[in-house]
Amino acid sequence: MMPAAVPDEEGGAKRPPAIRAVGLQKVFGSVRAVDGMDFELAPGRIYGLLGPNGSGKTTLIRLLTGMTRSTKGTAEVLGVTMPSRANLSRIGYMTQSDGIYPALTVAENAQFFGAMYGVTARDAWMDAVALVDLADRHASVAGTLSGGMRRRLSLACALIHRPEVLFLDEPTVGIDPLLRVQFWAHFRALVDTGTTIVVSSHVMDEADRCDELLFVRSGKVIARGTGRELRARAGTDDLEQAFLHYGGDGVTQ
Amino acid sequence: MSGRRVFALFRRVVEEIRRDRPSLALLFIAPILVTGLVTFILRESQTPIVHAVVVDRAGPAGAAVEGAIGDALQSQGSTVAQAPDESAARSEIEDGHASIAIVLPADFGSAGPRMITVITNGLDPAGEADQITSVQKALLAVTGELAGVSLPTISHTTIYGVPSKDPITTFAPAIVGFFAYFFVYLLTGVSFLRERTGGTLERLLATPVSRGEIVAGYTLGFGLFAMIQVALLMVWVLGTVHVPAMGPLPGFAVGLGVAMAGSPVVAFLVVVLLAVGAVSLGIFLSTFARTELQVIQFIPLVLVPQFLLSGVLFPVSTLPSVLKPLVPLMPLNYAVDGLRQVFIRGAGLDAGVLQVDVVVLAAIAALFAAIASLTIRREVA
Repeated sequence: MMPAAVPDEEGGAKRPPAIRAVGLQKVFGSVRAVDGMDFELAPGRIYGLLGPNGSGKTTLIRLLTGMTRSTKGTAEVLGVTMPSRANLSRIGYMTQSDGIYPALTVAENAQFFGAMYGVTARDAWMDAVALVDLADRHASVAGTLSGGMRRRLSLACALIHRPEVLFLDEPTVGIDPLLRVQFWAHFRALVDTGTTIVVSSHVMDEADRCDELLFVRSGKVIARGTGRELRARAGTDDLEQAFLHYGGDGVTQ
Repeated sequence: MSGRRVFALFRRVVEEIRRDRPSLALLFIAPILVTGLVTFILRESQTPIVHAVVVDRAGPAGAAVEGAIGDALQSQGSTVAQAPDESAARSEIEDGHASIAIVLPADFGSAGPRMITVITNGLDPAGEADQITSVQKALLAVTGELAGVSLPTISHTTIYGVPSKDPITTFAPAIVGFFAYFFVYLLTGVSFLRERTGGTLERLLATPVSRGEIVAGYTLGFGLFAMIQVALLMVWVLGTVHVPAMGPLPGFAVGLGVAMAGSPVVAFLVVVLLAVGAVSLGIFLSTFARTELQVIQFIPLVLVPQFLLSGVLFPVSTLPSVLKPLVPLMPLNYAVDGLRQVFIRGAGLDAGVLQVDVVVLAAIAALFAAIASLTIRREVA
């Protein structure tokens, strides 16, 4: 896939951001997991949260999905301040762990999470299962699936209610390269229908599949832009080197 | 066998348990706590306070004995009153004014084997046995004073049920309640812990489901299995199926065949209410557990005291006075009392005492459901 797939048009008229963080901070004891983040993310794009383990990516996603409350500042999704239970019906969240019920079948898992989102139509959850290529395994018990299949089922469970904003926490960890390509094809297809996707990853080679990257380190966004921009600004053609460049210089945005 | 490998395994086990602080604490503290409590209850259990009514049909011959029994009992802080006849004495017990009636028969003064009838309520067989022991002791003291008078035998009747030598009659209602509570707690606690540690709870909480809905769904789900369990248990406890001898096989009976004065449906309702409370208790306590082992370790802290203080094993009436204020705090206490009312007295839902038990059990279930839903952490307004 080409870098910076989406041209840098901001959609002409100024659209309200899909996601907004204002002075967002989360402190656990003495650890500042998220240490003052400010950003706006326009809808209909794939954003990559890139940073090493423990840099605050998961905490940021948990703040944006309302799974945890900020110490300071606000997190907004689709114009609604999180946490908001009602707003969760417009948000999809694929957690870092699979978060599926191993004793239920593929279809039963999808049906269950569909029901939690208020989606009871069989088509909706069967579509989601088909989208991740598990239709022929719909009667298999989830616990008997391979790791990659479980990951796909986990993704399907986050898609059933056709969320406008989708958070994917390390979706491709432990996944073979072929499946990874399929996953990104799914993500791109979703964005083409207007979905906003936030993907966290610590794998730099996935970064170029995103429309825009946010480098996260020690709870701060240290740089933002397309992969090409970030490399150019850092004067390197290696994203890893670029990351170190921004991290090392303490450059923010 | 490699000594090095065995040692490595040994060291790993020790290290793992050493770092599991709650397990460590419970491993060492729980047995001390439990044995301490049992010892305390056994050593410090009170002589029951007897509220006796004496029916003297022996006339002047019995008067001396009656007076002496009265003196002996009163010295223990008990009260002794008189009743004109047996039916008056029975209604005193039914109303709760008296705990035991002592009937001296008309031929009490005469020679030959003499018999005193004592009447108790029948709802708390173990506690009432203690009362009878007290009366017996008083009699022994009396007969000691009145030289040449041999010790009369005591015949025991109860207002509800039949005083039975079958020990299970006493325990059946309590045990049905306790084990239903125990297994439902264990099942829910472990299941909900799996939900927490398996990542599905996080996933679940990312949907618009409310915490109340989660508790309600869990209650219905585990409630269904609790109901099946209790129904089976009731059939097993109450029923007897006689299997006739077939060829060389001797005949035998299946089922405990415990006598039941009331409606099994009412008893079922009481246990189900208790079990619904156990579902919420399991959800609530799973908050404080990280492993399934830790869910099990709450048993000595939460379930054993209930077992000891709800009249399952030790009658509530003779518990040490320090522990008595804790009894009304035990959910199991209401179920045990309610079940005894149904099993022995045959109380229906129109009986006031049973209504109190049912209402309290329902209130406890509702309270724990509220607490459980608060402990399902999600910071959503």
